[in-house]
Amino acid sequence: MNPLVQVLIYLVAAPLVGGLLAGWDRRISARMQARQGPPILQPFHDVLKLLQKENIVVHRSQNFYILFFLVLVIFTGGLFFAGADLLLVIFALTLAAIFFVLGAYKASSPYSFIGAERELIQMMAYEPMVLLTAIGMYMVSKSFSVSEIASHPTLLVVTLPGVFLGFLYTLEIKFRKSPFDLSCSHHAHQELVRGITTEFSGRTLAMIEIAHWYENVFLLGWIYLFFGSMPWLGVTVALLVFVFLILVDNVFARLKWEAMLKSAWVVTLVLGFGNILALALFSPSPAAPVAKAAPATLHAPAVVTPVPPPAAEPARRT
Amino acid sequence: MSRFAKSPWIIHYDASSCNGCDIEVLACLTPGFDVERLGVVNTGNPKHADLFLVTGAVNEQCRDVICNIYHQMAEPKVVIAVGICAASGGIFRECYNISGGVDSVIPVDVYVPGCAARPEAIIDGVVQALGVLEKKQKEMAALASNLDRTQYLHADKKDAPEILGLQKTAYQRESAAYGDDCLPALKQTLPEIEAEFDHPAAPAAAEPPVAPPPAPGRTVFLKAVVSGKIIGSVRGYAVGDTTYLSRLIVHPYFQGRGIGRRLLEELEKDFPEVRRFEACAGQKSERSLAQLQKLGFQEFKTGPGPVPITWVYLQKERQ
Repeated sequence: MNPLVQVLIYLVAAPLVGGLLAGWDRRISARMQARQGPPILQPFHDVLKLLQKENIVVHRSQNFYILFFLVLVIFTGGLFFAGADLLLVIFALTLAAIFFVLGAYKASSPYSFIGAERELIQMMAYEPMVLLTAIGMYMVSKSFSVSEIASHPTLLVVTLPGVFLGFLYTLEIKFRKSPFDLSCSHHAHQELVRGITTEFSGRTLAMIEIAHWYENVFLLGWIYLFFGSMPWLGVTVALLVFVFLILVDNVFARLKWEAMLKSAWVVTLVLGFGNILALALFSPSPAAPVAKAAPATLHAPAVVTPVPPPAAEPARRT
Repeated sequence: MSRFAKSPWIIHYDASSCNGCDIEVLACLTPGFDVERLGVVNTGNPKHADLFLVTGAVNEQCRDVICNIYHQMAEPKVVIAVGICAASGGIFRECYNISGGVDSVIPVDVYVPGCAARPEAIIDGVVQALGVLEKKQKEMAALASNLDRTQYLHADKKDAPEILGLQKTAYQRESAAYGDDCLPALKQTLPEIEAEFDHPAAPAAAEPPVAPPPAPGRTVFLKAVVSGKIIGSVRGYAVGDTTYLSRLIVHPYFQGRGIGRRLLEELEKDFPEVRRFEACAGQKSERSLAQLQKLGFQEFKTGPGPVPITWVYLQKERQ
């Protein structure tokens, strides 16, 4: 499909899918707590209401930062679904998150200040793993291009099980779910963990919600990338992961930020880095220097699917 | 049903309640009643909330907090008094430290009686409040779309309470810059503002704007009215060749739409004989200062005000 068409589909469909997922999330969470829960369309009602409310600001520029947060999150997803460079996607995502933090800092109230610092700590926790995920995908598919990773003939998850699990771990942070819902929890509205949105109201708060919808769809798209060669399996697993995140959200209590930071880094080191180390060490063609260019064929000891012969490699390289 | 009715977000404040009603409010969120099925979220943040649930008879220490929360909430907003204490003061009504009901501090839209109010009654109160919320939203939208039909009239004493309320709303932003409510505009009381109408040298302010012969030391009190609601006001006070402007206020929801400029033009028309206009604002009120400069005022001196404030004086010559 034409990448431009893909981006257009993303721009239109992502808020709808993201909003429905959010509504689904609230309904499933309520059922897990033996409640009836709100209608599936509740997130849309909320956002449409927020658009009609008065917009109270401390500094006008704080809304400007949030606008950039929304635009950059959409840009990130757009790059991703256009099949662009994965590293560029990661940097755009980081930039978006930074704008969110700046907006909260700009509001200069103690609660939003603490919320912004918590968001920064969260970024420190998940960024290394997100970067390692991109590197792992490169080592298997020899490309950072999303479209080439997606069309890679093998299931990436088979060679990257550790990276997949590590990425799942950081998704708990990215989706703002317990046990890591430290800065923008969807549940504890009256607590400090909602600090980062304290000073935003009306239209600006609606923009933050919509940005989260776009972000969630993009992250589930990344889960799909692990199963690029089998599209239906990919979509199913992405949805299952979402349900799994909701389950974890309802089962676990919130941890302190120290515990989040330490455990996220341990997971990154053991699962993510370990997986990539194994990929590099157990390469069948040790003649090629690992550090300089990626070796012709790479597979972990556990590989079951056939990997294409080395001769085919240079043709796929970009 | 409008969007507002489907997504009511609540902030709950305990104004010296015995905790009976508070527990019932929280019981509404439990699986037995689950108000989230109506879209209700207990936000705990005045800037996010639509409904303000107050329990308790409001003692002296809670008054300021209630006012503060109420003013921080975004329009449109609805106040619900939950329990008989919040509704009227209940058995604490005659206590020395009790103001007696939430409506002695802020306007209340829905009363939920009971000691303690049952969760069913509270949910019913919330549903009634949604009707009020919807009505307020429609009024706001109607006001916003009728701004070109704003009338600029002379205010009289009957308008004093409404203008005072508007003044406190409009000065909220300023007060954040100075910390405490040290601003005279926020401390003004109803008798004080009524006294401004009774300035000895002023003619009856309710007179039609047919210019009476210029008299020294007269006061003009203007209001901007849309669909019967006052959304802006200004006071002018002439001494000799100079008119002193005070309290140029516009409701925050309608700021930046030229209402302040029109008020000033109308005021100038009321003082045809005066050549010089003078205004003042605190040195930290950057917004007001920028606004006045945009209207043609120029800074000419500064002077001390009540403690953290330094007044900046601005003047303008008639063209």
